[in-house]
Amino acid sequence: MATNKKEHLQNVLETHRMKHVQNLVDKFKTKRNEVKEALEAHYGSNIYYSFDSGSFKKRTAINTKFDLDVVVPFKKDSFETLEKMYDSLYDFLYEEYQDVTEEIRKQTVSIGLIFEEDEDGDKICLDIVPGRELNQDQYSEDNKLNLFVYRKYGIFSSSTHIQTNIQAQIDHIKAKENERKIIRLLKIWNNNDGKEYKSFLLELITIKAFEKEDISGNLWEKLEKVMEYIKDKVAEDGFKLIDPGNSNNDLMDTLEDWEKTNLSNRMETMLERINSNSDNIKSYFPTNKDFEDDDKSSNSSGYGIKTGGAAYSTPPKNERFG
Amino acid sequence: MGFLDDVTKLISNIPFVEKAYDFVEEKLQIRGKVIISFKELEKPLEFEIVVFKCYPLKYNDADSIKFKNSNLIEYRHVMEDGAICIHTTHHTNLKSKLNYDFHSLRNWIVKYYINKEQDDHYEHIIVDDKLINNRYWSYQFTDLKHPFEKGEFGEVSITSIQLGTFKSNLISNHIIQNFIRENGEQLECEWSQLYKNMDITNSGAYVYIETPPATYGKFIFTKWLDLQDHLPERFLNFLLEFQKRHIKHRGKLLPLFIGYKIDDVNLHWQVAMLEIGDFPIIGYQLPNKKWITIPKNELDINWGITRNTSYKYFFGRGSFSQSFAEKKILIIGVGALGSMVAKTLTRCGCRFIDIADNDIKEPENVCRSEYIFNTGLMDKTEELKFILSTISPFIETNIVDKDYFQGIIKLFHKEKGGKSSFEANLNKYDLVVDCTTDNDLMYILDSLDLKCDLINLSITNFAKELVCAFHPNTYNFVMNQFMNVLENDTSDLYNPTGCWSPTFKASYNDISLLVQMAIKHIHNLYETGSRKTNFIIENDSSNLKIVEY
Repeated sequence: MATNKKEHLQNVLETHRMKHVQNLVDKFKTKRNEVKEALEAHYGSNIYYSFDSGSFKKRTAINTKFDLDVVVPFKKDSFETLEKMYDSLYDFLYEEYQDVTEEIRKQTVSIGLIFEEDEDGDKICLDIVPGRELNQDQYSEDNKLNLFVYRKYGIFSSSTHIQTNIQAQIDHIKAKENERKIIRLLKIWNNNDGKEYKSFLLELITIKAFEKEDISGNLWEKLEKVMEYIKDKVAEDGFKLIDPGNSNNDLMDTLEDWEKTNLSNRMETMLERINSNSDNIKSYFPTNKDFEDDDKSSNSSGYGIKTGGAAYSTPPKNERFG
Repeated sequence: MGFLDDVTKLISNIPFVEKAYDFVEEKLQIRGKVIISFKELEKPLEFEIVVFKCYPLKYNDADSIKFKNSNLIEYRHVMEDGAICIHTTHHTNLKSKLNYDFHSLRNWIVKYYINKEQDDHYEHIIVDDKLINNRYWSYQFTDLKHPFEKGEFGEVSITSIQLGTFKSNLISNHIIQNFIRENGEQLECEWSQLYKNMDITNSGAYVYIETPPATYGKFIFTKWLDLQDHLPERFLNFLLEFQKRHIKHRGKLLPLFIGYKIDDVNLHWQVAMLEIGDFPIIGYQLPNKKWITIPKNELDINWGITRNTSYKYFFGRGSFSQSFAEKKILIIGVGALGSMVAKTLTRCGCRFIDIADNDIKEPENVCRSEYIFNTGLMDKTEELKFILSTISPFIETNIVDKDYFQGIIKLFHKEKGGKSSFEANLNKYDLVVDCTTDNDLMYILDSLDLKCDLINLSITNFAKELVCAFHPNTYNFVMNQFMNVLENDTSDLYNPTGCWSPTFKASYNDISLLVQMAIKHIHNLYETGSRKTNFIIENDSSNLKIVEY
């Protein structure tokens, strides 16, 4: 029996909701609050209130892979240079958490904390992003920050710092429920498929598709149209994805030409496979089996056995051979 | 007209044949002479011609026409009897074939006689295989890490590998294990550990003379006289002492390896077989009481057979890329698929393949896997390790704890630190291939954060499809393919004897066809740096089709 693509995708979104891992989310939030408090105690009036960003804040998080992003806005006069700001934060976090973390690593513009497994086997991951206001006392007016670029990569390959407005990035996706669903689906695909593309890129390209095209219909039809848009546009010369936090940043610059072609080809292959056999949608957009409703999983939304229930002593259809 | 007249007339008509004469017919061949002359050739050249009566067909694998001129033996591609070594095209028409062959002779004259061109590759010395004491003797050598110096000598340790039949006679086959310098330093041949650990069964001696022991660089010396300028006196003394020490083995043969450079990097060894008690040397005491040792120059050298079995030559005719062959590979599950993968990778030059499986090889497994009958019941891993070593003397294979993947990982993957421990164990490899068809294991492996590549392979019943998935997109993809996309008919399975699960139906031919295509595709993905996209190979009995996802 063919898969009902709309129903399947709804189930995919449902099984990837954060509410299924509320205990874990609570652990993340508790740890985040601890770190925030430690930072505020250490830096005092040198920082403004730190705030959440990333997929939690944008409500695009999925429960199979997530971390919490915390932005720490420093005042202009707190450090002479952005590098000193970045190093100071790293040194503080290292001193404070080296004994309870698996890894504290310097990332492109943030510092990643991976805490040791707790008794439930859970690992808390936080990304702390330090930024400094452009001019003294200006942050509260314009929300703009300069970030230090630690790892020269992609659009950051020739810069030592980058200007951004994280609040503007968050606002960019506000009240866009349809877009958020597609973004979450594309993140689920991306996570399942090797995590080749940055979530921010998938987010911007989805929003742009909604702006430029008539993305309507049911959930599958919307997803299909966005995928068509990516397939058609991403490898085109002059196609841009402007960072709402800084109009000088084009996210397309983070991809090499061959990566753009690969992304376009991936979309084309996926659309072809799904349209030739609707069951293939499950290969690209899997449900999270840990939170699947047993009733639903036995019908077309799950791995339901097409040929009906297995008889006693007859191997199931998922019996593989080799 | 008869064969003689036809051949004579056709040869006479070839434009650059100035004269064809003295042609006579013998029982199996005709003989004659030709004078070749053309513009670029300063003076005409005369060749004796022998044409076998099977011409224009070949006799065995050899051309049935010979062009000989014994004055030309110093030139490239001329045999000791003056025959020019030409390889020409097949043709069944006498006139066309003669034209081709004479043009090949003309091309040889231009390239090697007039222009004196050198070949890019080294042409090895011609050594006729010779029966010595009613059998042939062969010795295979491989690369060593150390270079040799001209004039150095010492002993050689040797392992006997197999007695066999060679050209209808007995042959003793050996591999060289070590060259032992005078100072005791052992230069180890770079065989796999398994071969290195084999018992030393024979001894020999070596001397490195640097230049080929050959006239014109291609005809091997025939008398000890020819070697006298190449053998240091100290070496001859060493040989005399060596004989004394081994005299209790009087009458046995001792191989003497004579080494030389074949280019800036590579060397080669020829082997002269000496009889203990009758070495071709003699010691004299001089009037000043000093002893000297000299070769018995008039004696013939009995050359044995050597082969260069270095990795480069062993896999020279076809292998995977070096970067792939050097990968540290683990194959989990070595049933039909896994054993075929392991054997194919070994034949393609891979050097490090560890294997894991907790299963036993039953007689019924043999027909569609790489296992053999005459080992009886045996752990699959033990037998496969043995089989791989019989194929390649360079393969290093370790057997991973048989319970690790299908037992231990499942028990402990939820334990604190369990996953990171498994990840560390797998990340020792560059490539892990899971052929277990164990869905539980696939589920756990899918959840690991791996730095190594992981490939999952399995097939449907009747080997209608092969499913290949790359980490981290294995579990969902494979399960969906088997459950929903592919027609995996599990109602018609084979029930073996005994009380165990029914198994799929497919022949060795069915399975290996898919496996070979999958491995070719995977190797190609690595070579081209292409994205490793999951794929299915569909076999609809007349076509194989790769469907990428």
